[in-house]
Amino acid sequence: MFKYSLLPLVSVFIFINHGLLAQKVNEFPKKTDPLYKKVEMFDRLMLGNHWNEGAIMQHVIFPPAGLERPIVGSQADCLDPTSEMLAAYSHKYAITGDPKDRKIANDIFEAILKLEKVTGVEGLVARSFNRTNEPLWHEEVFWYHEWHQSSSMPGYRWLGDLSADKFTSIFYGVGTFWELCADDEYKKKAAGLLDRFIGRVVDNNFKLTDLDGKMTLWGNFCPNLPHQELNSLEMLAALKVTHHITGKERYNAAYHMLIDRYHYDDHQINSKILFPKEWRNVGDDYHAARSLYMIMRLETDPNLLNKYRMNLNRHWYDWKDLEFTWESNIWFLMVYKVLTGEDIFTEEKKQGIKDMWGFERNTREFKIPQKDGSFKLVRSEEERTAAAMIRNYWFGRYYGIIDEKW
Amino acid sequence: MKSGLTLLTFFVHILYLTGQETPTPPEGMVYVPAGEFIMGSTYGDPDERPRQIASTKAYFIDKYEVSNSEFAKFDPTFKFPPEKKNNAAVVTWSKADAYAKWAGKRLPTEKEWEKAARGIDGRVFPWGDTYDNTYVVWDQKETRGTSIAKPASPYGCYDMAGSVWEWTSDWYKPYPGNEVPMEQYGETYKVMRGGSNFNNHSFIRTSQRYYVLPEKIHVYPVGIRCVKDID
Repeated sequence: MFKYSLLPLVSVFIFINHGLLAQKVNEFPKKTDPLYKKVEMFDRLMLGNHWNEGAIMQHVIFPPAGLERPIVGSQADCLDPTSEMLAAYSHKYAITGDPKDRKIANDIFEAILKLEKVTGVEGLVARSFNRTNEPLWHEEVFWYHEWHQSSSMPGYRWLGDLSADKFTSIFYGVGTFWELCADDEYKKKAAGLLDRFIGRVVDNNFKLTDLDGKMTLWGNFCPNLPHQELNSLEMLAALKVTHHITGKERYNAAYHMLIDRYHYDDHQINSKILFPKEWRNVGDDYHAARSLYMIMRLETDPNLLNKYRMNLNRHWYDWKDLEFTWESNIWFLMVYKVLTGEDIFTEEKKQGIKDMWGFERNTREFKIPQKDGSFKLVRSEEERTAAAMIRNYWFGRYYGIIDEKW
Repeated sequence: MKSGLTLLTFFVHILYLTGQETPTPPEGMVYVPAGEFIMGSTYGDPDERPRQIASTKAYFIDKYEVSNSEFAKFDPTFKFPPEKKNNAAVVTWSKADAYAKWAGKRLPTEKEWEKAARGIDGRVFPWGDTYDNTYVVWDQKETRGTSIAKPASPYGCYDMAGSVWEWTSDWYKPYPGNEVPMEQYGETYKVMRGGSNFNNHSFIRTSQRYYVLPEKIHVYPVGIRCVKDID
């Protein structure tokens, strides 16, 4: 788990927690370092500091505010960096063939399995988990009332209310792992997970339902209920991937039912809201990009491919002018190139890739609720994620967009 | 069931056409007549079931959600950006309840809220059964009642779909005849209605129920629409 214990560290803090030895990685790259070195060092930071039993934390708050271990932070979006690192190591393994890279990918995949196991319900996947018997201070500060004590995994708490974007993270990450990295045993495990997860959504009339049986706040792909066009695309992509991986006809039938009877193929074309301009949302574009990347490489029907291309074109209308201010922006362009073959990388955009960066470690005060209802101010260090940058790098390397010497 | 509902619709229209006297609502409110209506759904979440015939007394209900500037008249310490004076106020349940009492009103029951939103005919949205993005205030920069088409509910209320969620006075409990086990049922959570720009489109259905801790709304934008009894 802690693969870099021998790396030269500026300083090392050791915390004993549940029998695990956690070491804080402190070495950051310089902005002037070559890309491969920046990626290597952010990779150490991510695996060393953000690793939560295989799940990758989007936000780490170090002790003292992070309690006795450096993994307490907002956790609602953990499936995004987890799937990004799973995809990153899948692409990396496809290049290196190194069993150590495959082992890391396997461990990350196992964490997604644990996100299902911790809920105690087959096919119900949590947003995140923590090994603790007591609610942690950040649970309601950084999210709403959706944390549960696990009955299937005593000593764990988990966060529910999965959303459409985390749904996308799962089929994108697991699908990429199955495609590029998993051995036969893990291919079966990956297929089994998607079968249970997507199967449960199909069985609930294309809704993400929580432990309480209600549709989650952002879990609506249902043909009988109004939903965003983007959700139609995400559902079609999930069914396509799951059919491809499991070989089960029910997913192909569901895919064609949503197209033939409910016209999801037409609906999804407008996933990108272009006007009014202030409604454009690059956050949503990320979910569209992952969905289009998965579905357009699997679909063979020229009519459907044409409609997905229309969707991509609407995104391109905005993407072509985006500044590289966010790691995922860079990935949009890589996806566009992979799907269309168009040579869109100008020298300026190549430089943007070379300048990719992860995060700074900041210090700030956290307002920590106390049992008596008061708050205590605690000053702590925190880190955000570099998972998207690392995924971009290995994705770009895999598709020949990024030169290994950069 | 269906023929019963048709008859109900017919008789209510006849009563309406024969000229029942309608009380004049206070400023900013609309009148909802007494009588039965279709409540709940067969297609939504399990807690919306069973679809049923419910009834209310007559009442007045606010045409719009309470705005930031309106709420600040009650609580001068309430802070909001000046350009958002007409946006819906987002407050906890106890503050919403206190505001309603201060205004000589009260928070609606679930029944009253749902009837004001959908009328008697069981429609999915305040304007009918077909969804239209432009009928909803989605963008937080928009203020109350500024959706493009401005469709009102059958009784003339605006923004009962989208904008902010709206508090009801009811605890989150099962409808009579609902046997779906829900650990949240009881007197811990209050029911909010109407959906918001924070969540997905289907939460703006008139029959959608959602539970929330009354004093810990966190990221849920929940606002106020009051009712007033008719003496």
